[in-house]
Amino acid sequence: MSVERHHVQEENVGAYLLSALTEIEQRTFEQHLDDCPVCQDEVDRLRPAVHALPRSVDPVDPPARLKTSLMAAVKAGATEAAGEASRHGMARRVRERIAGLNDALMGMRPGVAWVAASIVLLTGVLAGATGLYAISGGGTDDAPPQVEAVSAKVDKTRVPNASGSLVVPADARNGAVMRVHGLPTLENDSVYQVWLERRGEVISQSTFTVGEDGEGAAAVTDSLESADAVMITRERAPEAKAPTEDSIVRVAL
Amino acid sequence: MHLVQEGDPRAFELLYDRHGGPAFSLAYRMVGNRVTAEDVSQEAFLSIWRSRARYQADRGSVRTWVLGIVHHRAIDALRRNLVHEKRRSSAEGIEERFEAKETTPGEAARREEARSVRTALEDLPDEQTRVIELAYFGGFSHSQIADMLEMPIGTVKGRMRLGLDKLRRTLAGVAA
Repeated sequence: MSVERHHVQEENVGAYLLSALTEIEQRTFEQHLDDCPVCQDEVDRLRPAVHALPRSVDPVDPPARLKTSLMAAVKAGATEAAGEASRHGMARRVRERIAGLNDALMGMRPGVAWVAASIVLLTGVLAGATGLYAISGGGTDDAPPQVEAVSAKVDKTRVPNASGSLVVPADARNGAVMRVHGLPTLENDSVYQVWLERRGEVISQSTFTVGEDGEGAAAVTDSLESADAVMITRERAPEAKAPTEDSIVRVAL
Repeated sequence: MHLVQEGDPRAFELLYDRHGGPAFSLAYRMVGNRVTAEDVSQEAFLSIWRSRARYQADRGSVRTWVLGIVHHRAIDALRRNLVHEKRRSSAEGIEERFEAKETTPGEAARREEARSVRTALEDLPDEQTRVIELAYFGGFSHSQIADMLEMPIGTVKGRMRLGLDKLRRTLAGVAA
């Protein structure tokens, strides 16, 4: 390590700790850090100041629904992982899924509960099919269950207050759940429709409406394998056969 | 935390109960509106659930680990331009305000702790406070801050480091 390089990188210590470096700069700095005890000491010395910064924030209560939807997703994923741990325990898996479903549904709004039910039941059906054809494994699986939330891109010109995310359980073949906030309520004969785009084909998944709070959730019932995107359009009820407008919310996969 | 790492959802629920408030508060402070803060918090806690096996107690407290992940998720959201409109609104003084009610000794203590850390931060020279806040809470890179404040990048980096050093010493004095 050259002295000159050290001086260049040492200048970055504060910016590194504050996450203010670009990705490339950060990687370069971390490579330098591996070989430089002086910078390691400096990072360790200043780190407590950075860790104190979030403590300067006044407490704000999170909405209760955050915990509800989070735990529904976690329980769905955890139940799925437990099911995958044994290829012989299909009946037990179904019982666990039902138990998990009951827990997840307690205290949930009807729309969210329906979506959680969709995830759990879909997972049960597909995991059952997978179990029948499993040819390897069978012991415990130590890998953490995967539940991922992917942020959606929103057309702010048409739905300026909207945001959304796609919650994907461990096995993307089991579908997913689209969560949205800030969508306007629609007139009686209109619904929001969820579509899956795969190799140029657009497949209807489900429809939903939102309440006055602008929140909604809907199931993506098809496998996400090879899918290019999940999107939402506004359509005439009960449901359209093909999208009649460009998507207002879209998650690229 | 051991039970969380073993994949126990009930233990994870307790972890959320303990750290969800500070996590949401940090996200809200950074993105400036409740809806995006909720998305950021959800993404962060799902990420925590997925990566729970990676938590190492010898590298810091659970709170520090959780808030670090929330911070990175909020920066991702800020840099994806998800909240620019909302941030402009905040700058115009119409930011939503949903502060926690000070009903329990724990909340009162958190508020008092926030006051003391904020005082230490505000006691720094203004130019140091500004670059630290823009970077940490605003999610801006050093070059963006240099552009905004019309100063050389080296100056920005230097002020970040000096500010953190002074903050560390002040807080160590407070704690002592």
